[in-house]
Amino acid sequence: MLHLRFIYRQLGKSRQQAFIFILGVALSLLTLTSLGGFSSSVRTSTLRDARQLHAADITVNSHAPISEPLLQAISAYERQGLARAAQVHEFYSMAANRAQEKSILAQLKVVASGYPFYGRVQLASGREFARILNPGSIIVEQAALDRLQARVGDRLQVGAAELTIADVVTSEPDRPVSFFSFGPRIFVSAADLSSLDLIKKGSRIRYSYLLQVQDPDQVDLLADALAEVAAEPQERVRTFRTADSRVKRFFDNFLFFLNLIGIFTLLLAGIGIQTSLYALLRESDYTIAIMKSVGATSRFIIAQFLGMIMLLGAVGTLLGLGASFLLQLSFPALFAGILPANITLSIAWDVVLEGTLLGAMVVALFSLLPLRRSQELRPAFIFRKELDTAPRGLLHAGTLALIVFFFACLVIWQLEDVRLGLSFVLGLCVLLGLTAATSMGLLAVLRNHSPRNLAMRQAGRGLFRPNNATRAITITLSASLSVIFAIFLIDHNLRATFVESYPPDLPNAYFLDIQQEQQADFAAILDQEAEYYPIVKARLLSVNDKAIDQEQERERRRGDNLAREFNLTYRHVLLADEQMVEGRALFAGPGQPEPGPGEVPVSVLDTVADIGKIRMGDLLVFDVQGIPLPARVTSLRTRTDSRIRPFFYFVFPEATLKDAPQTIFAAARVERTRLAGVQNALTDRLPSISVIDIGNTVEVLARIMSRMSAIVQFFTSFSIIAGLLIIISSILATRLARTREAVYFKVLGAKGSFVLRVFAWENLLLGLTCALLAGLLAHAGSWLVCRRIFDIAYRPLPGPTLVMVAATLLLVIGVGLTASLSILHQKPIRFLRDEEQE
Amino acid sequence: MRPYHRNINRFPAALLLVWLCCLLLAGCERRETAPPAEQAETATAYAGTIIAAGDSLTAGQGVAPQDAWPSLLAKKLAKNGLNWQVINAGISGETSSGMVARSKWLLAQRPEIVIVATGANDGLRGIPPQVIRENIAQTVRLLQSGQTTVVLAGMQIVQNLGEDYSREFAAIYPAVAGELQCILIPFLLKEVAGEPSLNQEDTIHPNEKGHQVIAEIVYPYVLQAIQAHPRTVP
Repeated sequence: MLHLRFIYRQLGKSRQQAFIFILGVALSLLTLTSLGGFSSSVRTSTLRDARQLHAADITVNSHAPISEPLLQAISAYERQGLARAAQVHEFYSMAANRAQEKSILAQLKVVASGYPFYGRVQLASGREFARILNPGSIIVEQAALDRLQARVGDRLQVGAAELTIADVVTSEPDRPVSFFSFGPRIFVSAADLSSLDLIKKGSRIRYSYLLQVQDPDQVDLLADALAEVAAEPQERVRTFRTADSRVKRFFDNFLFFLNLIGIFTLLLAGIGIQTSLYALLRESDYTIAIMKSVGATSRFIIAQFLGMIMLLGAVGTLLGLGASFLLQLSFPALFAGILPANITLSIAWDVVLEGTLLGAMVVALFSLLPLRRSQELRPAFIFRKELDTAPRGLLHAGTLALIVFFFACLVIWQLEDVRLGLSFVLGLCVLLGLTAATSMGLLAVLRNHSPRNLAMRQAGRGLFRPNNATRAITITLSASLSVIFAIFLIDHNLRATFVESYPPDLPNAYFLDIQQEQQADFAAILDQEAEYYPIVKARLLSVNDKAIDQEQERERRRGDNLAREFNLTYRHVLLADEQMVEGRALFAGPGQPEPGPGEVPVSVLDTVADIGKIRMGDLLVFDVQGIPLPARVTSLRTRTDSRIRPFFYFVFPEATLKDAPQTIFAAARVERTRLAGVQNALTDRLPSISVIDIGNTVEVLARIMSRMSAIVQFFTSFSIIAGLLIIISSILATRLARTREAVYFKVLGAKGSFVLRVFAWENLLLGLTCALLAGLLAHAGSWLVCRRIFDIAYRPLPGPTLVMVAATLLLVIGVGLTASLSILHQKPIRFLRDEEQE
Repeated sequence: MRPYHRNINRFPAALLLVWLCCLLLAGCERRETAPPAEQAETATAYAGTIIAAGDSLTAGQGVAPQDAWPSLLAKKLAKNGLNWQVINAGISGETSSGMVARSKWLLAQRPEIVIVATGANDGLRGIPPQVIRENIAQTVRLLQSGQTTVVLAGMQIVQNLGEDYSREFAAIYPAVAGELQCILIPFLLKEVAGEPSLNQEDTIHPNEKGHQVIAEIVYPYVLQAIQAHPRTVP
């Protein structure tokens, strides 16, 4: 039944469209299979990261000794071989170097053998932690040595025991997630716990059990069973998956985002397939019409084209699978330093099968409409060329519904959440509807607009030439671009929130409780630049004479509450990362509210203003440690980024708070090598100042975040390729019409440069319309995703937006002109002769 | 800390800052209290003013304002016919050096009696006992210079810091009280510290029952201060 020669000839005639079709199919398969394979590797490796950050599968914590039922449950698991357990005690204690008469507060971690189950405790000597931490030995942080003026091999007094420093710890796996400390770490062997004699009534100890579960699938099961017997509320059972950490949340967002990119890429590739198929079939319109007039049945014709699609689809599938195979083989090289070196990337055949099936479904779905159009084509088409017979019946709507349904299922399947998936699909439909509505509106405006320049006028008309499908292309292109833009914007926002929050110049040390008269001495000891913030403790009593409802405020689950103690500060300038929202100056300026008698001006940060519904001119009454302070809101500020920098809700003029009891808080970027020296000097001369070293935390988080972000960007490029395919095939689709037009222009005496200008303008108009529309929709969409799904602040990113729009314009014009160049070089007569012959 | 997590979600990058500015300086949790506003407004008929100056143990972190011991103390005084105003000037997370810095501010309110209950946060940070002692002594001297009767609340530190440190720490309070002749509550958290049923989950902050016990502990010494104060009209 299949007429191979016919198929071959048709393909030969539309080589470029066929090529794009193949690429579209290949890309959807590549995306599905490699993303599937990759995200499972990533899932494993990120979960392993998460495991390392907890050093265990399950952790049990309590401030009281672990209760008997829980202990029994744990030892039962050990007996049955289901899990291994290690007990950990953490607490502060004094460590003294008797020889030097120095003592410091240290954070002890008394660990049983087995710790850590995941990750490594790295020692300065490079030796194995488990072999060094023997009874009688301790492993300490370098800061402890520096501050105690001790060396490895010295003995330290800890509690009632004297222990020998065996090594220096440089990193511990389960420390960075949320660690800050008043003292350096000291590891002690569990065997020495009783000789320390520090656990007694009145001791504050954090008791933990770490569990490693033999069968990874049983983690949740075992954890649930432990939670059943745990003594509420003090005993907490957590798994590395449920532990509520920011890193974990990042992983979730990350995998979710990868899945989204995958689905979007599939959708884009599907649109690319459809566009190229439309173009391919359209180029065959004439042939189809002739075939029909000489008696070919629709069934016969459709069979031929179906055969062609299946052939192309098969080629595309093979190509996609091959590319995916190659890509996965090169993953370790591509992601060196991102994926753990020893991860094994195997080609999972079920993923390949699944991908092939899905790919075939995408091809079938997106081929329906173009094929249907060809089927409906009437023989009369030979005589009435301008007639576009695109049928808009039940079938059309049905096919669209089917496509929507298919992707809805896919989204729900990937997200494993019906409600989220549905709202997501709904959002996508709204996006498409909006694109259609606005692009049609814009086109209508363009149509009625008639510029003076002839080339521009012709370009405008060109958009509405019969059969040009400008509307379809605009909608498709805008929708696809908006998806790509949105991915880009969301990625940037995620980066800004999670990666750039840790710039290298971020303060890594905080100094608390500096008294005013100590500031000069402190600055001398620190001997480098630092940010100083005076802090006055106060509570908010009322807003506009309405007392703060303590109970209600404390019930707030989300955001801050107004019942807590606030840190007021005074200064007369904005911080580097602050901006005025209302009012031109902090305290007094034209048009700003003026404080009444007995009142002082206050500048309020927008976040707390939102929480307390505080507006300009409102009267806030603070209780500054017993003394009421009425303050009039004279300005509102906002923060331009959410980096880890000190910020203050309420800022006062210096005169009003200068005499209030206050301490100074300092933040500085201190070289790690210097920090111990600074701490020592402070302990000696200003012992009441506490130092918090967050350097480690910041470093580790920053590293993980940027890793993940690199992977996201890699897969975003897939969707960009899909978008490229759409642009190219959209422009190729109008090639025939353009050729004809170019010929007519030339026949009418136009030069090549004029024709070029017309095409350039036309492409510019198209590109600009699509890019602007896409930019608008992308912002709306990514704002929604960032705020509703990821729950992060949204930055509009004007710079990157401009770059995206400009890149789109360049691309559309570039591709458009490249596709038109061959047309320009054609001699009109050849085209006309061809037309004549047909 | 549970109410907190959502907040972290909302402003993820402000995490450490939130810790630093709120958690650390203000204590370990947001659940704090304030002196009820209406009490301050009806201050007309008070026989005198008592300021309870301290840290989160005084501020009543984790319990409602009316359940913190200074409020309970005021109620008990009133019940016994002593109409004294008790101002809760507890600041969570405050160390003894912070207390020195605000002594003058406290005096500006012309209190008859100040209960000084500070030092616990110093101890938790391992600050040398002699530094704490000097700060507390200076606080008491400053307050006494303003014709105020000082009640010093003794404190003990968690045992895990080691025997030497906890012994030296506990010795600070009797030494200062003896030197500067002020009234000493031997141990503010007597019977409360280390008793799970009287403390919150974090094991260091008293719960409502714990605050009731503290109010009982404090009461006789406040009575003694009221009787001792020259300006008082019992």
